[in-house]
Amino acid sequence: MKTFEEKWTAWLDGKLTGQELAQFEDSLGDRAVAERERLEAKKLGALLRQELGADVLSNADFFSHQIHEAIEREEAGRSTRLRPGYGGQAWWSIPRLAWAGTTSLAIFIVCAFFVMQQDAQPPSDYLTQIVTAKLDPAANPYGTTSVLEAKKDRVTVLWVEGLQSLPADYAAK
Amino acid sequence: MQTEATLAQADVSELDLVRRCQAGQTEAFDELVTRYRTRIFAMIYNMVHNEQDAWDLAQESFLKAWKSIKRFRGKSSFYTWIYRIVMNVTIDWLRKKQIKGGGAEFDDSIQLKEIDPASKTVPKADPLPHIRMERKEIRARIDEAIRQLSPDHRAVILMKEVEEMQYHEIAETLGCSIGTVMSRLFYARKKLQNLLRDVYENV
Repeated sequence: MKTFEEKWTAWLDGKLTGQELAQFEDSLGDRAVAERERLEAKKLGALLRQELGADVLSNADFFSHQIHEAIEREEAGRSTRLRPGYGGQAWWSIPRLAWAGTTSLAIFIVCAFFVMQQDAQPPSDYLTQIVTAKLDPAANPYGTTSVLEAKKDRVTVLWVEGLQSLPADYAAK
Repeated sequence: MQTEATLAQADVSELDLVRRCQAGQTEAFDELVTRYRTRIFAMIYNMVHNEQDAWDLAQESFLKAWKSIKRFRGKSSFYTWIYRIVMNVTIDWLRKKQIKGGGAEFDDSIQLKEIDPASKTVPKADPLPHIRMERKEIRARIDEAIRQLSPDHRAVILMKEVEEMQYHEIAETLGCSIGTVMSRLFYARKKLQNLLRDVYENV
């Protein structure tokens, strides 16, 4: 659905035809007034064409020369940027980024492998290990009991500290 | 659209020149510049009303065209394509200039009474000047009137009336609908008729 502005413009420019033209002209209140305005629009167009269409570019050849020079500079700059081994901007190209990423990933995998290897080793025989450490606040809020195991000698030591008596669950069976 | 093409130049088709440009031949682009430089400079000058600015914007437009000519697929004519670049460059420049200036150089807010056809067609009551205006003075009046239009309205009225482009070409150039072009044309004409009635009635 065309707006009034669109229809009016099309009518001024002679672009309305057929039924659309007839309907629009019927809708005009005063046909003579509209025709006068159409004539005005034509005069305005003629004035603009006459006055604005006659501009001449002075120094046209220099204008072209300047563009030619700008293009040459542009092309020279582009070829420099694309030249292999050119420092700075060209270094972080996509292949280089991919290569750096792959190398980093390989280093990470090797390091992770060594760490996992170390974790897999059996515990040292020379260490004394605290197997459990318990605190029984009901028996004594300040007391702790610890079971220590010396691997080499296969001895288990029950260490009781700050307790008046041995807790019931540690009673010897 | 008129060009500077001579008969010899006309033998070389525009599309052929474009293809050669896409292959990197700067000489072919020189040829296209020669064909369109005057029209494009005039178009920009009519938009910005300053010779140096028009020169710089025309240079920038052609350089952008060269940089992006490989993307030209030939779906539209070359001049429509390059006019689109010209209009983008010029309208952007005008908008930035207006923002920097901080003021409203142009004003499209036409009062309703100004667009009433009946009121528009009443001849101006002011007495017509008896002395014929010099061409320079007329031009100054026209420039001043166009300066009061927004960049979009300037572009539409100049492309329609001076370049004699079709609605669809203007729409393609400005990247808007044909309806928008016609609507802008309506308001631009009304405004210019108000401002220049005494000029075109007496020339």
